[in-house]
Amino acid sequence: MFSSFRLCMSWLHTWFGLVLGFVLMVAFFFGSLSVFDREIDRWAMPQTRFAPQPMPSFDRMLLPILKQVQPDEQDYAANMAALHDAAKGPMTPRLELPVEEYWAYTTHRDPVLIMGVGFGVPQPKDPAAHNHIHGSVTIDPRSGELLRDDQLKIGTGFFYPMHYSLHLTWRDLGIWIVGLAALTMLAALVSGVIIHRRIWREFFTFRPWKRTQRSALDLHNLTGVVALPFHFFFSFTGLAIFAGHFYLPVASTLLKPMHERHEVLEAQRTGLPHERAGVAAPLASVDAMVLEAKRRWAARDMAGEVGFLQIHHVGDANGYVSIYRAGSDRVALVGEGIHFKASTGALLREDPPRTVVSQINEFLTGLHLQHFEHWLLRWLYVLGGLLGCVCIATGFIFFVEKRKKQHAAAGSQGSRVVDALAVTTVTGMVIAAVAMLVANRLLPAELAGKGDWEQAAFWGAWVLALLHAAWRSAPVARSRINPAWREQCWAIAGLAVAAVLLNWVTTGDHLIGTVFTDTYWPVAGLDLSLLASAALALVAARRLAWRERCAEAVGAQTQAPADAADDRLPVTARLTHHG
Amino acid sequence: MIASEASKVVGRVSAGLLGSYAFTWGFSALGIAGLVALGVDFHEAETGVLLLALLVFLGVFLWAFAAASLARVWLVLAGGGALMTAAAWALQRAVLG
Repeated sequence: MFSSFRLCMSWLHTWFGLVLGFVLMVAFFFGSLSVFDREIDRWAMPQTRFAPQPMPSFDRMLLPILKQVQPDEQDYAANMAALHDAAKGPMTPRLELPVEEYWAYTTHRDPVLIMGVGFGVPQPKDPAAHNHIHGSVTIDPRSGELLRDDQLKIGTGFFYPMHYSLHLTWRDLGIWIVGLAALTMLAALVSGVIIHRRIWREFFTFRPWKRTQRSALDLHNLTGVVALPFHFFFSFTGLAIFAGHFYLPVASTLLKPMHERHEVLEAQRTGLPHERAGVAAPLASVDAMVLEAKRRWAARDMAGEVGFLQIHHVGDANGYVSIYRAGSDRVALVGEGIHFKASTGALLREDPPRTVVSQINEFLTGLHLQHFEHWLLRWLYVLGGLLGCVCIATGFIFFVEKRKKQHAAAGSQGSRVVDALAVTTVTGMVIAAVAMLVANRLLPAELAGKGDWEQAAFWGAWVLALLHAAWRSAPVARSRINPAWREQCWAIAGLAVAAVLLNWVTTGDHLIGTVFTDTYWPVAGLDLSLLASAALALVAARRLAWRERCAEAVGAQTQAPADAADDRLPVTARLTHHG
Repeated sequence: MIASEASKVVGRVSAGLLGSYAFTWGFSALGIAGLVALGVDFHEAETGVLLLALLVFLGVFLWAFAAASLARVWLVLAGGGALMTAAAWALQRAVLG
């Protein structure tokens, strides 16, 4: 199909990069936001703006709340019929499902605590499968008060799932699309290196005064090469995180018998029961087990807080409590699990040190999920993610610039369509995200289903950005700039400033307070980032306006071949602009 | 001419995605089953092999486009994938006995 290897790699880079680039842009942008997902939650839920809390008393606070948790209605409606075996009898009503497990999870960045219950399915189709209907709640661990569940955690509950699933939950379609995009990113990095070869020179080449096509390519190469290890690492580890469960579920399909045997042997070896005994048993003090776990961690010279707590086979003689240490001080997420018999509090097992393979895996996935405490590295992640966005966006622009004259001459609409989609995924996506924050501050806190309205604002703003980009796209077909780029930059600036002001008006938290007098970085950081985005959008809008004026001046002034004019113009324009 | 170009592209893209997936699936299954047969812990084997499998996918994906003969690409990827899957299945039966 191709006359040479480099042409082949070039084709692959161009077309896979273009088609999956729109998805990659979403993954990189919302991934960058997800680095501070919990901080965005604080901004969007003003009543949770307080310091992170350690896990509160299980016996006195968590257990009474867990006993009140009900199976989630949506989860029951969506999954119960598929898990239940109709041949064995009628489906157990939602509120009569037996409690199978309890869990609670927190990190060094969480003021609020999430916890939940896994409810068993009494007559499952496949007894060996993970037969659970879930229910979860978020509480203020200072008082035990429940947070309303129609209140959307915009960071952890919307931007973060957007990053890896696009919110396309039907048959995990979004996760598969993002996976394909991650694979494309890996292939684009390899093929990009093969196409260019002069990698070292790309480090130092950026010529913004050259015509757009050339400077876009410079920036594409620069951002691709400078952050190449970052891009490769995150695409690869992103795939690794989901590989076993979604992309290559060999262990739960083809090799299921082998896996099952391993689970049973493992349960025998570790003494942690795989099944319920069927004999009721009470629950001993979990707080005492937490104290003992902390004592054992301290004895191993790794004193720490509880990150994850889980009770298996609740109410059964085989029940056991697993307590995991929070991963604030190392890359791997939670670990050093210590397990106790639920009915007596007797120690069952202390997890041995990890093997090399699982250490490598935990290091890779832990470095992607970054739950450890290292604020400088978090900001470098944001920088790397945004460099990825610049790389993808300049890829779109190069694609359009390279073709639009040809397309204009031939009367083709190809580059016009790509450009409009690029506007939608670059500026339009930022508009959607900021519009969501604005909606969050404008809608009254007590509004029922507030989270649904915020999501409607997000998608609505994005669709508007698409329509606007398409409506304004005609100049591209004449080899000019789509004014939607500039107009949407103005929209970003306006919305971002509005979000900061609305935060001040509705909560009283302004930057002087959150930075200096009553320091609260989660909110100050987002406010400052919004202002920085507004400033950047303004600079971009002004430069775009200048480029548009130049292009028009050339069109009116000379009948010279467009190519020559385009080459000459930015240099003279640059002189007058700076002069 | 244009139709044949398009069908070539479709052929390559489907080989690159479906063929590579089949091959990677077979590689993962056989790799895990093989290591377990050698006495490696199941989850250890799974974790290690899946990390490698992602790189295998990347490699065969690129090869599917670069190789001269599309027929050979399909033969290696689909044939190899099927063979390895079958071998993994047989190995599992032997191990579980």
